Amino acid sequence: MTITAAPAQFLATDAFVTAAAFSGDTAALALGDGTVRLVAADGSEKAIAAHDGSALALTATADGFVSAGDDGKVVAIGKDGAATALFHAKGKWIEHIAFSDASGALAFAGGKDAFVLLKPGAEPRRLTHASSVMGLAFDPKGKRLVTAHYNGVSLWWPGAENPSATFLEWKGSHTGVVWHPGGDFIVTSMQENALHGWRLSDKQHMRMAGYPTKPKSLVFFAKGKWLATSGAESVVCWPFDGKGPMGKSAREIGPQGSICTVLAAHPKQDLIASGHADGSLWITRFETDKTANVRPPGGEAVSALSWREDGNRLAFGCEDGAAGVLNFEPVAR
Amino acid sequence: MTSTAAIPVTVLTGYLGAGKTTLLNRILTEQHGKKYAVIVNEFGEIGIDNDLIVDADEEVFEMNNGCICCTVRGDLIRILSNLMKRKGKFDAILVETTGLADPSPVAQTFFVDEDVRAKTKLDAIVTVVDARHIEQTLAEAKEAREQIAFADVILLNKVDLADAAALERVEAVIRRINPLAVIHRTKNSGVALDEILDRGAFDLERILKIEPHFLEGGHHHDHNDDIQSFSFETTKPMNGEALTHWLQMTLQTKGQDILRSKGIFDIKGETKRFVFQGVHMLMDGDLTGPWKDGEARRSRMVFIGRNLDQDELKRGFDSCIAA
Repeated sequence: MTITAAPAQFLATDAFVTAAAFSGDTAALALGDGTVRLVAADGSEKAIAAHDGSALALTATADGFVSAGDDGKVVAIGKDGAATALFHAKGKWIEHIAFSDASGALAFAGGKDAFVLLKPGAEPRRLTHASSVMGLAFDPKGKRLVTAHYNGVSLWWPGAENPSATFLEWKGSHTGVVWHPGGDFIVTSMQENALHGWRLSDKQHMRMAGYPTKPKSLVFFAKGKWLATSGAESVVCWPFDGKGPMGKSAREIGPQGSICTVLAAHPKQDLIASGHADGSLWITRFETDKTANVRPPGGEAVSALSWREDGNRLAFGCEDGAAGVLNFEPVAR
Repeated sequence: MTSTAAIPVTVLTGYLGAGKTTLLNRILTEQHGKKYAVIVNEFGEIGIDNDLIVDADEEVFEMNNGCICCTVRGDLIRILSNLMKRKGKFDAILVETTGLADPSPVAQTFFVDEDVRAKTKLDAIVTVVDARHIEQTLAEAKEAREQIAFADVILLNKVDLADAAALERVEAVIRRINPLAVIHRTKNSGVALDEILDRGAFDLERILKIEPHFLEGGHHHDHNDDIQSFSFETTKPMNGEALTHWLQMTLQTKGQDILRSKGIFDIKGETKRFVFQGVHMLMDGDLTGPWKDGEARRSRMVFIGRNLDQDELKRGFDSCIAA
């Protein structure tokens, strides 16, 4: 495939872009000024004043988006821009959010508490922790939730009558977490520029170190056979087929030079979009390592990326507020 | 990559009841033309509703980096990183610690975490001290001694409630622990804010001189003073390589006991001064501005810590003097 970053739409914003997501044809960008910007398929834009502070997290749901902010609010935003507050805890910063397409459950975390809404409109269930929750993710079925915190992760069945956690221990501060799409592995990012993981079948540990900066963006792709990670001067990919990455080495793909800050895997093809500290944006085919630059270096680091479900659009945002939606619609020849 | 100017962070410490909250309230209400984001540990104590006040749980995390005394404030890393997403909304940040907090995790956070380092800079550690109770507090609480040892600026507060002789005695006790800090005598935490904010105490470029305040003789020895300080000086140029090696070795082996260290050195063959500072095992050093014409070149350094062997440190310092 020849990658042509065809007509791109750029948004006028000067706030830190904290997250990007697509729901159907609509793109959303969460901003440090508290707004969520929607871009419809026809290019029309809307700015929703969702938070009094910063919008810190965003997820797509079945029929729109949910954003969370440092005003303690969790807000549902329709594709039409209609905003409804789902939750408000004054004084808490809601920093993480996750939605499961499979179960329709929504989870978010602020301070030492995680909350789960099993269904839209359900009462939030509170899951308390000994230290602050720094990341959360659902299992593929959306029935279990993993939370990352100091000294390990907790695995919850939030639908159980009195949810209790299974604790997987590893010393140190776990700052983010992803669940393998096959359900077999959990991987966390750590304060010490490393990843830690567990194979759930036997609780075997895995440790992936050697990053020059914190690997913050972790993305499984190729049906879970690989994990792409940010934090290095290339896109570092770990093999997760079979028994996991233990004893195997990573593959480095993509542009070399500027630290990779954020990643998004193409939903249909073997392509990884990577944003970098120098503001550049690249798309790399994993198999061949052919890479194409779709945004030149300039400005501050790329901080948010999301593909549309069909893979024909890529929303991006940067720390300096540069943002847009790139169009990769196949062109008739 | 273009980077925006780092936001200065002032850390406010002080034992229970010393007057931290009064000072915070002053900073938040006085007209000074600057906007502060304030990270507090007990939301309720500040009687001001302001969306730039952030409630923190002091979460002290050990780092897995082979350095046993290396702890950071996990909550601070998270809060500072997220606060920086509200850019343009504030000019500076204040971090209040609890009365019983050891200041080292806060200070070390600014040395260790790359995100915090990229966007913010530690400006100074300000410690508020209750002039009436400090002698007793120092006798009872090691945290209070550590808060003084770490300070760049000390507010000797509630001086209206103590007599002159007591103040002299208290100041001498403080000096014995920390000969470098600037001391302001205050009542109701009243001090010109530019005396405590934007000090650049951790800015190598701004550490232009080190003037330890030496004690005059005649004071009785206080056995509660487990924290001591030693300063060394020479007018002979130093051997840069030997000095770097010695500083690294000293902090690596004694860093648990050395709370803070600071130095300015005249390196043989260099026209610029070498400035260095450390918090426990972590250090930061660089060649900064040149010696001025006519300025007397000399090297001075201070260690503040526990169980320090003055003779050994002195021998180490002397061994770095260029042949």
